[in-house]
Amino acid sequence: MRTITLRPLRAFEVSVEAETISPSRFASLTLGQIRTQEVFMGNWKMKLADLFKVEGDEPLATPEETTIVLEGDFSKVKRIGEGMGAGTLEVRGNVGMRAGSGMKGGLMMIRGNADDWLGREMSGGKIVVEENAGNYIGSGYRGEKYGMRGGEIEIGGSAGAYLGEHMCAGTIRVKGDTGDFPGAVNQGGTIFIGGDTYLPGAEMTKGSIMVRGKATMLPSYQKAEVVTLEGIQYQKYVGDLVENGKGELYVATNSA
Amino acid sequence: MIIRGGIVYDPANGIFGEEIDLCIDRGRIVEDAKGEEIDAHDLLVMAGGVDAHSHIAGAKVNAGRIMRPDDARLGMEQATAVCRPSTGYTVPNCYAIGYRYAHLGYTTAFEAATPILESRHTHEELEEIPIIDKGALTLFGSNWEVMQCVRENDLKKLAAYVAWGLRASKGYGVKIVNPGGGEAWGFGANVKGIYDPVPNFDVTPAEIMKSLAQVNESLRLPHSIHVHFNNLGKPGNYTTAIESLDLFKDIKPSRMRQVVHVAHMQFSAYGGTSWKDFKSEAPAIADYFNKNHFCTMDIGQILFGSATTMTADAPLEYGNAHLLHTKWSNHDIELEESSGVVPLVYLRKNPVNAIQWAIGMELALLTKDPWNVILTTDHPNGSPFVNYPEVVSLLMSKVKRQEELSNIHELASKRTTLTGIEREMDWCDIAIMTRAAPAKILGLEDKGHLGVGADADVAVYDLRPEEVDPSTQHDLVKKALAVAKYTIKGGVLASRDGEIMAAPVGRTFWVDASVAKEDEERMMEDLKEKFDRYYSIKLSNYMVQDAYVPNPVVIKAGALPVEEVAP
Repeated sequence: MRTITLRPLRAFEVSVEAETISPSRFASLTLGQIRTQEVFMGNWKMKLADLFKVEGDEPLATPEETTIVLEGDFSKVKRIGEGMGAGTLEVRGNVGMRAGSGMKGGLMMIRGNADDWLGREMSGGKIVVEENAGNYIGSGYRGEKYGMRGGEIEIGGSAGAYLGEHMCAGTIRVKGDTGDFPGAVNQGGTIFIGGDTYLPGAEMTKGSIMVRGKATMLPSYQKAEVVTLEGIQYQKYVGDLVENGKGELYVATNSA
Repeated sequence: MIIRGGIVYDPANGIFGEEIDLCIDRGRIVEDAKGEEIDAHDLLVMAGGVDAHSHIAGAKVNAGRIMRPDDARLGMEQATAVCRPSTGYTVPNCYAIGYRYAHLGYTTAFEAATPILESRHTHEELEEIPIIDKGALTLFGSNWEVMQCVRENDLKKLAAYVAWGLRASKGYGVKIVNPGGGEAWGFGANVKGIYDPVPNFDVTPAEIMKSLAQVNESLRLPHSIHVHFNNLGKPGNYTTAIESLDLFKDIKPSRMRQVVHVAHMQFSAYGGTSWKDFKSEAPAIADYFNKNHFCTMDIGQILFGSATTMTADAPLEYGNAHLLHTKWSNHDIELEESSGVVPLVYLRKNPVNAIQWAIGMELALLTKDPWNVILTTDHPNGSPFVNYPEVVSLLMSKVKRQEELSNIHELASKRTTLTGIEREMDWCDIAIMTRAAPAKILGLEDKGHLGVGADADVAVYDLRPEEVDPSTQHDLVKKALAVAKYTIKGGVLASRDGEIMAAPVGRTFWVDASVAKEDEERMMEDLKEKFDRYYSIKLSNYMVQDAYVPNPVVIKAGALPVEEVAP
């Protein structure tokens, strides 16, 4: 197992775009090569070592055997783990926008908060966020018809608006509340919401959403039977009828 | 500059693959020149490509960009020392349009439809497109003043309006889209046939088309009318196409060219009664073009993959959006037109798309004279223009067509005649379809050929026409045409091996036609009333000022001497 640790050398005022921080890319690079990887801070082209202290094991390993540890505040660092296919990426702090976007495999552990567009259009792998996450988690990017296509996202705290928009497959679990419109335009996949939410499943055609807390419902959902899952009673709804949808929405009855 | 040793195809001057040195001086082809030499020994050399129908600038292109941030992601290229950054695939940004045409060896492209009211926007974008020369065709087919003149049967007043409209929009020619339908759509309706009166206007599409064609010839405009027929995109619409074409049979051209150019014929060559029995009627259309020579067409080929349909045919786009259940933009242009934008994906396994693909091929291959049928994809309606090399390699290779036919829905073989077509085009046909014919059809005398005095727009491709057999080596053809070895625009080396070397500013063609003062005065009385009562802007703010066209080429036209042009 090869471990590489990155620590920011300063607090960033301008965002850094660091799609190169990914086990898939670091695996075949020596530490020296990693230090010279190109990153952008604003419109300045820089080397990774200009912004981060890079330490770790020298011998090369496969992506699966590679672990990257990010220590410190990475909340202004975007696109971490973009397109990663294997390995482990652990963030001991907050992470910036678009972490794990287009992720195909591997594990991303975020010990703090995640920003918007986490795991957008991901197709495999797992992302775990211990605290809160921003908007558009696991969704498709602007204008795109297809969002998350597979994989798993777990959020320990709450999430922002448009959770899993355009989702096609995969699973998102949120322990806390979510913002408006979770599962909008869903075409598949599963979303669990532990807390409260507002207008879930707008224009959903397939897939399922389960809400344990309170949910303000859209009028375009049809009531179906009451079901019991894991000892909790849920009211089942089918919709979104605006789209002739066959999506399933479960809202816990005791909270309504 | 001298381009040495290339195998030149210049069909307009009767040169079919001869080794010729081309001399260039001050942006023109000349007899003799000195200076920089470009080695093109044994390589394919043609005039710079001319695209006569492409949606590259204006409000609807921009609507496409706004609707499709997903498309912007597909074509990101960073800025270089010469280039500004590029984005987009079906709806690229302005800079990318210029660079990508130059990579293809194209040096001229005409925006196919702009309403007068939106022309300022169109010219602002055209001005930002580097390298290529350009122009814009102005929409007249659903205009209230046009319909009023037609209703009053006052062709002189109509001529005055067309001349004024071209000047107001700094436009190049008369574009007609779904005549009458654009304004019928403003009242939630459409026109069905060419003899159906336009609701509320008491004229028929046939009258509008015929009157505009007559006026176009009376004004001696360089280009003929450029028509997008009624019922476009609907099964069984080939009868509308032929009925419409028959209208122009007796009109005499005022210049050495066609009297009507049909835009993206592929979308108007459909048989059947519904999408279920949808089939090709391309042979009937091609037969018409083989027997009659007053008309020309561009094929409007579709290719499988992403496209963004955009047209002034707003009811068509309404239909598309509902059929495909996708995003849709709809736009009303006051007293002139309406328009729509719908992104879509053409799929190999979709029977309708497969047949559409085959129809475009049939039209190009069954029409015997390549001067009558030019290559377009109706960018970005059928496919983005960057895919022209794919179309060329298909036209040149039966093998490639058969390969594609075996990959797509089987109905493409059953409902069209493409399987039985043996014809494979040669470089001469291609040079005509992509350069010489579009220039002639547009009436651009200095474009599309390499004779002495022509614009020094030259494309050199990394392909040895005497060694490569396009029939079997179609992949080499596609590769070579996609990235020109050298693209020379106005005597400047613009692109080399896919790298932009210089981005000179292109020129914009527009037509200034003169009419009798009294006709113009009568017409202005009508217009004043329309502006007072209906338009949201004032007549004084309406015309595109000269400042918006800083590099103009003004082509004079009209029945009268130039001095009598009204101010």
